[in-house]
Amino acid sequence: MKILNIYKSAPDETVQKLVKIVTRDRESDSFDLNIEKPDYDVLVDKIFAADQTICWW
Amino acid sequence: MSYKKVCLLYRHPDYAIDGIRSALGLAVENMYAYGVVMDTEIPKLDELTQESIEMLRDMEGEVYSTVPANVEKNGFEALTLEELGEKLRDMTHIIPYGLK
Amino acid sequence: MAKSLGIFVTTPGSLNHVIGITKAAKKKGSTVKVFFTWKATTLAKDPAFPGLCELADDVSICVDSYKKQGFSVDDVPVGLTPKKMATQAQHGIIIEDFDCYLSL
Repeated sequence: MKILNIYKSAPDETVQKLVKIVTRDRESDSFDLNIEKPDYDVLVDKIFAADQTICWW
Repeated sequence: MSYKKVCLLYRHPDYAIDGIRSALGLAVENMYAYGVVMDTEIPKLDELTQESIEMLRDMEGEVYSTVPANVEKNGFEALTLEELGEKLRDMTHIIPYGLK
Repeated sequence: MAKSLGIFVTTPGSLNHVIGITKAAKKKGSTVKVFFTWKATTLAKDPAFPGLCELADDVSICVDSYKKQGFSVDDVPVGLTPKKMATQAQHGIIIEDFDCYLSL
């Protein structure tokens, strides 16, 4: 099970805690959408490679 | 056939009620749908939304909250952040809904 | 064959991301379906919205949300048809029938 965590803003304590539990003993990757020019090509590749994508606030 | 398990997370009062409606929409589509009101206290729900929650429960869904005031006021099931994290591990889809 | 991608849009500030991701996914040969709900239905009035409708394979909005945002059902956004002013069942389709799921 590979999980992709996408962040629309810097993850606060709540999000960090949930991510830690959800990804425990699982493969995971992340992508920061909170930048001026996100590389959407890279993001789509990551989405396709993941079993589950979670886009946090 | 395996059924989808979807959890919608709400952190903003302006999005919680519509998010609950969205969860109900998925339950109607034969999925296990859950909603969780986090961090924020929401007003007492109107009758229509209460009815939506009852319908959701009839379809084995539930609305939880990590905020005790919401549990008291609106009859949500209480859940700690840790319990929520464990519950999310079992979901096929996790949807942080709307703004925070 | 590229995986299909369904995008569920719930936030009003996300149109640039929706367009950027759709563009990238289409370039890779993916089928993309986008559904807007609640406050995100206001994005249907954004000047960039018709472009997204051309780009994606299917775009629809929650008509009930659109009404609650103060718009008339008869005011069909450019790029959509009345049939695409739809219900939450569209979200169900994204979850059930698409390989990859993204909420924005």
